[in-house]
Amino acid sequence: MSAALLVFLYALATALATGLGALPFLFVRTLSERAVAYANAVAAGLMLGASFGLVSEGTLYGRGATLGGALLGVAFILVTQRLLEGRSEEELLLAPGSGSGGRRMLLMMVVMTVHSFSEGVAVGVSFGGGVTLATLITVAIAVHNVPEGVAITAVMRPQGVSVARCAGWSVVSSLPQPLMAVPAFLFVEAFRPALPWGLGFAAGAMVLMVLVELLPEAFNQGRRPAVATLATLSIVAMVLFQRLF
Amino acid sequence: MQALDPTLAVLVFSSAAAFAAGLGSLPQALMGRLPLRLLGWSNALAAGLMLGVAYALLDVGLPDRSTVVQGGVGAVLGLALARLAHLLTGTEGMDLNRLDEAGPTYGYQVVLVNALHATPEGVAIGAAMLVSLQFGISMAIALAVHNIPEAMVLTSVLASRGVRVHHAATLAVAVNANQVLVAIVTFAVVGALPFLFPWAVGVAVGALIYLVLAELLPESYQQAGPTGIALVTLVAMGIVVALVGAS
Repeated sequence: MSAALLVFLYALATALATGLGALPFLFVRTLSERAVAYANAVAAGLMLGASFGLVSEGTLYGRGATLGGALLGVAFILVTQRLLEGRSEEELLLAPGSGSGGRRMLLMMVVMTVHSFSEGVAVGVSFGGGVTLATLITVAIAVHNVPEGVAITAVMRPQGVSVARCAGWSVVSSLPQPLMAVPAFLFVEAFRPALPWGLGFAAGAMVLMVLVELLPEAFNQGRRPAVATLATLSIVAMVLFQRLF
Repeated sequence: MQALDPTLAVLVFSSAAAFAAGLGSLPQALMGRLPLRLLGWSNALAAGLMLGVAYALLDVGLPDRSTVVQGGVGAVLGLALARLAHLLTGTEGMDLNRLDEAGPTYGYQVVLVNALHATPEGVAIGAAMLVSLQFGISMAIALAVHNIPEAMVLTSVLASRGVRVHHAATLAVAVNANQVLVAIVTFAVVGALPFLFPWAVGVAVGALIYLVLAELLPESYQQAGPTGIALVTLVAMGIVVALVGAS
């Protein structure tokens, strides 16, 4: 098997792992307004924790480029948000009456999918160091992806999307990973300079999503100390997760 | 820089951070009552700098896997201590930005919360100084700047309750006094017992993040729109990340 195919298959496996993030929601029966707020708080914490990891990795390659990438990521999401606001629900293929929740769901998909591009490049570039470590890296990234699936499901499930579909959308959001991993692996030298920009872009987009959409929504419906506690614990869990695996 | 005694450096820079809070009363003194939106952005600026400090402490203070578990447990402990402090003082979930008629105990509660809030910042400065003088100074600068918008909000609240502005300025500095004490104690104790270092970093990070989410951000969203709040917070976080690079 060619090395490029191997990278693709490994990266595909990591994308599929994202779907596992939907599974915990099989055990959540009721979704009151409070529960939705707390799901948003957990998603916010997981995404903030993940951004910490992205910035940390990006600054290893270049601090200025990471910050520049973050600015671009912020701008990109602001523009996307404006575009979504100007459209009707039919145009966006959303269920009628889904309102701001439906738009939040779409924006979440955009943010998480775009962020997977950078992750895919990171996978490819790290594979470039030699395929011997491939299994280890793959397992690490697959494990990273599970909480991302949790974050996506936490936003989609309250909109009435079934757990199976949440899992499906989670996998879709990670598909750019295998697609980007292969060219990044084949042309490591060309992709390496772009990596801090990409990682910064992903972090900026995710933090903005957290601050503009998820946290205000969580504070709106949930008790403040509970929201803050859940989000903080999720950040800590995500950082531990990323550092240990 | 090498001429500076390390403990003296902690004293000087944490004191500077505490005194910076006094500057936060200037806008109120010059402009009178501040617009609500400005208070929102102040909260967001304070929040972003604090989140940035938490990130930098994690990134620089706990770089490898060997210490990250202690750091994680420490963070949960820091979160628990912050919540406990709120519970014991009856300030949990309190709106810290009320400019209208609040009860007679509201003023002292707000001052108390601000004082408690300064404590983990002291741990952060002390722990950062143990990493290196440069890193400690950059964290102290970030927290000094953070103290200014925080004091702006405190001054507004106190002024709305009839406290004169220069009294509010003095109070704003005074509530940060324990930041100096805690920074020096952390520096001395953890310096002597290095195995405590990841715990100290963890406690600071957990408490800082919790306080951002419980005290600073919820109010800010009610004072200004989420997009403005998000941008100010992000820029402030970016400044800290850049500051670490410069150190």
